[in-house]
Amino acid sequence: MTSLIGQSENIGYSFSEPTSANVKQHSFYPYTDNGGSTLGITGSDFAILAGDTRSTSGYNINSRMVPKVFKIGGDDETGDGAQILLSVVGFAADGNALKEKLDTVVKMYKYQHGKPMSVSACAQRLSTILYEKRFFPYYVHAILAGLDEEGVGALYSYDPVGSYEREQCRAAGAASSLIMPFLDNQVNFKNQYVPGSGEGHALEPVKAEPLPKETVKALVRDAFTSAVERHIEVGDGLQLMIITREGIEEIYHPLKKD
Amino acid sequence: MVSSHGTSGMLGEDGIHVDMNHLKSGEVNLGTSIMAINFKDGVILGADSRTTTGAYIANRVTDKLTQVHDTIWCCRSGSAADTQAVADIVSYHLNMYGVTNSEAPTTQVAASLFQELCYENKDALSAGIILAGWDPRHGGQVYSIPLGGSLHKQSFAIGGSGSTYIYGYTDAHWREQMTEQEGIDFVRSALQEAIKWDGSSGGVIRLVVLTKNGAVRHLYLPDNGYTGPGVTN
Amino acid sequence: MPGFDFSNYNRNAALHARGVPLPKATSTGTTIVGCIYDKGVVIAADTRATSGPIVADKNCEKLHYIAPKIWCAGAGTAADTEFTTALISSNVELHSLSTGRDPRVITCMTMLKQHLFRYQGHIGAYLVVAGVDPTGTGLYTVHAHGSTDKLPYVTMGSGSLAAMSVFESTWQPDLDRQGAIDICAEAIKAGIFNDLGSGSNVDVCVIEKDQPTQLLRNYMKPNDRPQKERNYRFQRGTTAYLDQRVISKEDMKKYVTIETLSGDDNLAAGDNMEVDS
Repeated sequence: MTSLIGQSENIGYSFSEPTSANVKQHSFYPYTDNGGSTLGITGSDFAILAGDTRSTSGYNINSRMVPKVFKIGGDDETGDGAQILLSVVGFAADGNALKEKLDTVVKMYKYQHGKPMSVSACAQRLSTILYEKRFFPYYVHAILAGLDEEGVGALYSYDPVGSYEREQCRAAGAASSLIMPFLDNQVNFKNQYVPGSGEGHALEPVKAEPLPKETVKALVRDAFTSAVERHIEVGDGLQLMIITREGIEEIYHPLKKD
Repeated sequence: MVSSHGTSGMLGEDGIHVDMNHLKSGEVNLGTSIMAINFKDGVILGADSRTTTGAYIANRVTDKLTQVHDTIWCCRSGSAADTQAVADIVSYHLNMYGVTNSEAPTTQVAASLFQELCYENKDALSAGIILAGWDPRHGGQVYSIPLGGSLHKQSFAIGGSGSTYIYGYTDAHWREQMTEQEGIDFVRSALQEAIKWDGSSGGVIRLVVLTKNGAVRHLYLPDNGYTGPGVTN
Repeated sequence: MPGFDFSNYNRNAALHARGVPLPKATSTGTTIVGCIYDKGVVIAADTRATSGPIVADKNCEKLHYIAPKIWCAGAGTAADTEFTTALISSNVELHSLSTGRDPRVITCMTMLKQHLFRYQGHIGAYLVVAGVDPTGTGLYTVHAHGSTDKLPYVTMGSGSLAAMSVFESTWQPDLDRQGAIDICAEAIKAGIFNDLGSGSNVDVCVIEKDQPTQLLRNYMKPNDRPQKERNYRFQRGTTAYLDQRVISKEDMKKYVTIETLSGDDNLAAGDNMEVDS
């Protein structure tokens, strides 16, 4: 393609910083955003991890049934016997690779030590796995869930390069900015005060306490049906996994497909 | 004709210099195979019928043969919007000319109008036009107005992205003073070849035969290997 | 045309050069279609408006009035389709009054293409123009750059590929009124379910000779929201405040004029928001 002005020559406008705007760069970009959202909430004796099952690229739907929540360290390919859950959202290929890697690590631990890996140990190991690829990261927002040594629900959330934190609840992915404020308000009762408990600054905040399992399940479903209404990349199906002392229960709910 | 963007341009931020790399994104293009020839009794225009936006075929039965006067027609290639606008303006002027002078304009008048518009607005247009017409004074004539707005009188002309594949074919098979049927067969088989090799050409083949008897449209469908139905009016 | 105000052009060019992004306009994703039948023409649209990946409006109207028997379906920048069709509608009515004839579809199409061509694609309106006039039935597409096409069935917008697949596989040349409505609705549904930019409901407009034009708003509602599981009504007094001041209606009258609407309560409400009770 020919050009009247040379590439190095710039048009002199006082405000325009010299840029390389007209130099077309072609480069290989190995990441895709596959959309979708995940959500985790813990209770006193359980943890819930949920994610929608839609996989997108651009305005297209790749599939209406691609799970984002996985059992980690199970005895076989069905995941039976697992005591840890992992959800991944972002770039699905990286999510899958990360799941496979963590699953292998947790299995190896059990074979080598003759006991299942604790959730806190697994959480630390996941952080290391993510940081190993500090300069070519797994393009995912991961959430790890299980029960801690006391049997209390444990939830760890990660950034793509391994920074992590234990939390009560966390939303991740495309609609996280829609779901997280709802969770703050409904799980941790942020911005809610006890009516008539005082005037002005003396007004007493509603105290957050672990919610019962059925309440949390309803909140998760409402969070997703609401996210589906306002985010185009969320929909098709809702996959719920609930981990308790009894094991892992898996529930599927259809969501709107538009 | 996507490649035509290479020499079309838009004004840069200073309003003077032309940014030749500017692409009108999402613009509808006639990635085309078009041609027009002289024959014994007049001229024949021909075109495929594919219009694309990127990889998507926005119209598979496009009519790229546009009437600008009774027996003056043009083949359009390049930006659909630009060529339609230019053809509409030329059509307006030629009809005005016809009414005010009580005499039909010659093909040369039409060619001049096209050339003027394409040359003076070369910065903003991506339009490759082949003009062909029949008038009582000069008989059949074929003009080509490629991207920069130059004007070339030719015995036959080919254009659009598909034309690159048939330079050899047309050169080898061209004869002066063909009969109407020979001319039709020449245009049809050349376009069939262009459609075969050019991904952005396709659909049906449309022809217009311009003689002293007026304009006659032909249509050839891919269903039967572009053998028919033939005359449609 | 006393048109656009360009007074901020230089300031915005300067800001843009320094890396300030352009403001986001609503809706690029849409599915709109049109199809002619023996006695008239049908156009249809989805009702989702988007701003990036966020749904800006779940039930917007993409079918625009031009003249009683000429309607337009719009895709692209919401504001551009809205204002362009309104402008042409206005000019078409004046033209019709001045000539004393019913407006023609081809006139609207020509006015639209000339307007859009003048703005070289900067007005992002992608339109399906349809209607009946003294010359018969008309159905055209108009692209933002000013090119037009005339076809028996058309689709536009980000869902156009999904919608066109319905037409290319099931369209037949001798459709009747209901057949045309059905195929258009089916095409829109293909867009709604397979294109993320399109969603919610199907709007249909049927224009037929010697028959009043029918706008079938929400002809199909295949995406009703499921019932919420919990009640999110807050107890009065839940929200904290540091100071309160009660202003009576009388005091308010010092600053603004108050007019009380009479009659139907729903008159002033418009589209009601969903609220937990």
